[in-house]
Amino acid sequence: MSRWRAIRLVAGREIVERGRSRGYVLSLAFTVILMLVGFIVPALLVGPVTETRLALVADTPTALEEQLATTADVLGEDLVLSRVPDRQAAEAELQDGSIDAALSVPPDLSSPGEIIVLEDIPGPLQAVISQAVIAARAGPAASEPPLLVALAPPSAEDATQLIFANAGIILMFIGIFSYGSWVLTGVVEEKQSRVVEVILSTVRPRDLLMGKVLGIGLLALAQLVILVAVGIGVSQLLGRFALPATTVGAVVQLITWFILGFAFYATAMGFLGALASRPEEASIASMPLTLTATTAYILSIVVVTGEPDGVLARVMTFFPPAAPMVVPLRTALGAIEPWEIVLSIALMIVAIWFLFSVGARVYSGAVLQTGGRIRLRDAWRASR
Amino acid sequence: MLQITELSKRYGSVRALDGATFSARRGRLVGFLGPNGAGKTTTMRCVFGLATPDSGEVRWEGRLIDPRVRLRFGYMPEQRGLYPRMRVAEQLSYFAQHHGLSRAESRTRTGEWLERFGLADRAKAKLESLSHGNQQRVQLATALVHDPELLVLDEPFSGLDPIGIATMAAVLRERAQAGVGVVFSSHQLDLVEEVCEDVVIISRGQVVAEGAIDELKARSGRRHLEVEVAGTGGRWLEGVADHTVLERAGDRVKLLVGEAVNLDGLLAAARAAGDVRRFSYEPPKLSELFMDAVTAAQPSAQPVEHRAAPTAAAAGARDADADPAEVSR
Repeated sequence: MSRWRAIRLVAGREIVERGRSRGYVLSLAFTVILMLVGFIVPALLVGPVTETRLALVADTPTALEEQLATTADVLGEDLVLSRVPDRQAAEAELQDGSIDAALSVPPDLSSPGEIIVLEDIPGPLQAVISQAVIAARAGPAASEPPLLVALAPPSAEDATQLIFANAGIILMFIGIFSYGSWVLTGVVEEKQSRVVEVILSTVRPRDLLMGKVLGIGLLALAQLVILVAVGIGVSQLLGRFALPATTVGAVVQLITWFILGFAFYATAMGFLGALASRPEEASIASMPLTLTATTAYILSIVVVTGEPDGVLARVMTFFPPAAPMVVPLRTALGAIEPWEIVLSIALMIVAIWFLFSVGARVYSGAVLQTGGRIRLRDAWRASR
Repeated sequence: MLQITELSKRYGSVRALDGATFSARRGRLVGFLGPNGAGKTTTMRCVFGLATPDSGEVRWEGRLIDPRVRLRFGYMPEQRGLYPRMRVAEQLSYFAQHHGLSRAESRTRTGEWLERFGLADRAKAKLESLSHGNQQRVQLATALVHDPELLVLDEPFSGLDPIGIATMAAVLRERAQAGVGVVFSSHQLDLVEEVCEDVVIISRGQVVAEGAIDELKARSGRRHLEVEVAGTGGRWLEGVADHTVLERAGDRVKLLVGEAVNLDGLLAAARAAGDVRRFSYEPPKLSELFMDAVTAAQPSAQPVEHRAAPTAAAAGARDADADPAEVSR
């Protein structure tokens, strides 16, 4: 039997047994509900954003008014139109929030004109205006949409990005630890129930460890993807905040680092778990790892957010236990060079490979020994 | 045939195996015997790659054992263990697949074995909800589900009730008749004597006796003679040569005699002393062969007389914390 088949069998068992366990289903449902509540309750309190208010500046042609109303109707947008005497008045109303955007187009429609906003424009509104202006101007030369002018260019985008990065890191930290501890307790349980001796009569210890990390990792990944999808979906439905253009990249990066981070920590958890004989000892055995991760987490939240370009942030980028949290954060803050990301990922992969080699040996040396905690050195020596 | 050659393994300062060599033929039930700590479990673990010997080799059908060959073996470790919360049928099917069976095949075999052990109605139950006896059956089924060529079982009879023992013995016999190699360890020597054809006795990491039980008995010069002469209290033995008294209980004496004993002479002496109620001449029991083999292999230790046992127990009672046998080791 190929080793891959053994790994797949082990991973498959983990997915089936744990995936249908009440624990997994409940925790997933609970987190999703928590997330929905987190999005929906504030939205309800603030009140739904149902209408957008657009002011037409000075001599913007009246014909456009009808066109706007029709287009808004077609696109299902609730648009409230008003008139302001001049651009200054429009800016004043934008500042005090009584309108969402202002549109200024020359009376002869010689140019597509400008949309003036404070920070950013909701996507649907921009679509309505652009289509209306293009339709009103008609003709082949008119396919150009109005220029978007922001009075306070979007620092908002940065903020959203930071929120996403922070939320991502929290999800990552929780995901790695809740599921990493499944690997830890799973290893101890197999040892305690003695089933490990039966399994190891056909499966290599390294493959058993890999299958476990893979299976539980896929469950964790499924949860992460569901949470991110629900989060993004709900935030879009409620129109809470526009997604930054970098969303896709950020999500890809988050998932990449989650996979790397999980592989690193779960493997370490797995072989530290093998050193324990009872679940109570497992938390002691995994203490060094938990401390490392917590320190890295706190440092990335406090130090890296404050000074994403600083020396500590740079050093932590190349320190595998911290990289999964530091790199996405620095990327979100736009304070990282591409080569740093590449090097960091490379170092991470080397670290995971190293951990698997060392870990698998310690694991095979320790997993069949019982009676109290096993010292790392003894486990290393005991294996082949 | 399973061939174990010069197997040695140390754990720190403990020499678990010290050049153990023996073989086990297919189609025969082989009892693997030895005192606690003699190296039985370590040997079995070496067969399954769970322990790596420092030296020596393990062959199956002439080939060195590798992970691929091991897939055709079935193992039941001494410390029983399965996934407590996994369903019975899924568990069996899982282990069958680890032995290389396809998913469909593993399900068929699982169904067959559950049927055979009367567990078909518990297929979907979690293992932990089964009775102790049924969990043992599932454990045995785990070792059998992939139809192995070699079965290695560590203490398969321990903890079984008489019905469980009968079932286990029947299954093992049936497997051996089907041409499977069956090796199991046990401390229940009477049971081994009844069930097995061959035995291997290991002591302190070395094989001290090996072969068919009948041959070992025949080869042993040891014969037992049990004589009961009414009203003599065994005193008729005074003046009779060539024997050792093993046991004395009232008028009954149990003697250890050589193969060349003069039975006629002994019988005549007994008759002369009184009314002979019993005069039985027997080959040694397996438990006696075992004691001989193990004590002979320990020249440094005091020869263990059977009668010494109560004395040792008494010594143990006096010094409640230390079992003298343990201390001397």
